[in-house]
Amino acid sequence: MKVFVFHLMPYAYLDMGYREKYRAPWVVLPNSYFDPKKGHELYNRYLDELELAAESGFDGISVNEHHQNAYGLMPSPIVTAAALARRTKSCKIAILGSAFCLREHPLTLAEEHAMLDTITGGRLISGMVRGIGAEYYSMGVNPAFSLSRFQEAHDLVIQAWTRPSPFAFEGKHYHFEYVNVWPRPYQQPHPPIWCPSTGSTETIEWASHPSRRYVYVQNYSPIRSVVKYLNQYRQAAANIHGYAASSEQIGWAAPCYVADTDEQARNEARQHIEVLFNRLLRLPFDMMFPPGYLSAASLRNMRSHKASVTGQEHTVESLIEHGIILCGNPDTVRRRLVESHRLLGFQNFLALLQFGTLPHDLTEKNIRLFAKEVLPALQSLTDKEYAGMEAQAAE
Amino acid sequence: MPRESEIDIRGCKLFLRRAGKGPSLLFLHGAQGLSGWLPAFEELAARFDVLVPDHPGFGRSDNPDWIDDVPDLAYFYLDVLAALDLGAVHLVGQSLGGWIALEMAVRSTQRIKSLTLADSAGIRVKGVPRADMFICGQEELAQLLFAGDGATAWLAEWSAPERAEVYDRNRFAAAKFTWQPRLFNPKLEKWLHRIDVPTHILWGDEDKVIPPPYAAVLQEKIAGARMTMLPRCGHLPHLERPDLFAREVARFIETVAQ
Repeated sequence: MKVFVFHLMPYAYLDMGYREKYRAPWVVLPNSYFDPKKGHELYNRYLDELELAAESGFDGISVNEHHQNAYGLMPSPIVTAAALARRTKSCKIAILGSAFCLREHPLTLAEEHAMLDTITGGRLISGMVRGIGAEYYSMGVNPAFSLSRFQEAHDLVIQAWTRPSPFAFEGKHYHFEYVNVWPRPYQQPHPPIWCPSTGSTETIEWASHPSRRYVYVQNYSPIRSVVKYLNQYRQAAANIHGYAASSEQIGWAAPCYVADTDEQARNEARQHIEVLFNRLLRLPFDMMFPPGYLSAASLRNMRSHKASVTGQEHTVESLIEHGIILCGNPDTVRRRLVESHRLLGFQNFLALLQFGTLPHDLTEKNIRLFAKEVLPALQSLTDKEYAGMEAQAAE
Repeated sequence: MPRESEIDIRGCKLFLRRAGKGPSLLFLHGAQGLSGWLPAFEELAARFDVLVPDHPGFGRSDNPDWIDDVPDLAYFYLDVLAALDLGAVHLVGQSLGGWIALEMAVRSTQRIKSLTLADSAGIRVKGVPRADMFICGQEELAQLLFAGDGATAWLAEWSAPERAEVYDRNRFAAAKFTWQPRLFNPKLEKWLHRIDVPTHILWGDEDKVIPPPYAAVLQEKIAGARMTMLPRCGHLPHLERPDLFAREVARFIETVAQ
């Protein structure tokens, strides 16, 4: 298994009094809540944490893109990935993901990803996402065209990386007379593509298509949803597309916290993980899912999924109980992950080792302890330890 | 009750309600869609041949990919008028429907006898804030749409579980046509001088979604336009003040435009 450390770079100094005046820390929260001096400290601290992860034996480190909120301070993951590119030597750098379709000009991102891939000598993983629904408010992009723009932006970028150029791109949303991206990506034909999602049927069926076979990463989900959607990917590959998906195509992302005892882990993580789920991820439904962002069927599914993740006040205990986070002593967390792998066979795992307001000293302790006590056991897992969907159903 | 039918326009099935006798009046609904045949339509049907379609993407009409912005809707409805062959009609549009009516009229008034714009979208008046009808839930939306207690009845109607599917469908279509640029076409305002039929601007004086200053700018840009402000009324005058709405629509058509 390949194990990554994922970072959201939240604005950990958020004045929680915002809730009296604003409905969410997204879209409408004034940026006067952001203090640039504290922001300077946070960016550098967070980059240090990812560099520490790179030195601690993880296979990769990961950044992502979010716009106009306190939840994640990376409107451009290119900037953070570029900062990490020259400070790391051998680990993968995963951008999970870039919202190509939120841009009027996805070619600028195609160029930047190609630069990163070339500078790092092929260590880039390119995530392709549609962006959170709230970002369609913030960026002025029509959510009703989100899916078709996503797919077309993908086609444009892949062609820009692989087709003999220059060529003209003739789409519905994007039109270019000259597509001729310099540099080309270092990896040929292009960097691996990953698709993180919370369980969109459209994304699962699209990502698993035999012409793509992109890595699907389930994030922020109760374990029963992780089971459902990772299996749905394998089923889509088998039943719709007619091939057996490799476990290398399957990934899971979850917040993790380890300490010497289960009780210590819960107590140290408690307030910080509760800030993530009860504050930073708390968006009104219509802000999170603007009309058209999801198909009618996915919208109905999401109403029930979200009720379980962001629709209720969480405690560290309820998050552990639902399997949304992994938290405990190293043995507890290791056993949970190994057992989940036996049932689901994901060959990629992304651990969110800083979350919410978790301070630097606890984050560093978490990274070091996870690297020492959990990581080796995960990295030794192969497809041989995966029991298969039939065994899982039987249990 | 109206006669209900489906008409096929270049492969798109359009659901149409129709009732009454007299000069033809085509009502184009707003971004919230319609819950059915309304008392205001019944009033108008006493004097007019009233036609009320669900726009493509809304209610019971098809949602073809090839209709994806308001100019498309305008050409589509010009085709509808040609297909129905009614002669010139009185066109009444509310909110998004007003915007469609404006886009039709700047293209051709050949089949349009008069234009009534109720709380119409279509232009942007800089510096005049509008409420965001997408970012909020149903309860808050009801408060934005109405000046008075019409909100309660609207909410009861649309929060019914059997309406959930069409509510979602209408919101999807509303986003498709109005999200960006929000509720307007930057190219429209400079062509409003082309409107050469009698025009009536009818506005709820407490409209929070498209506030009254928008009415004033439309009146200034459309030669000879009359304006009527409806007191104690929000964005949906045909729902909030149905008697007054129908009376003012009829009075303008019968005194000015007939």
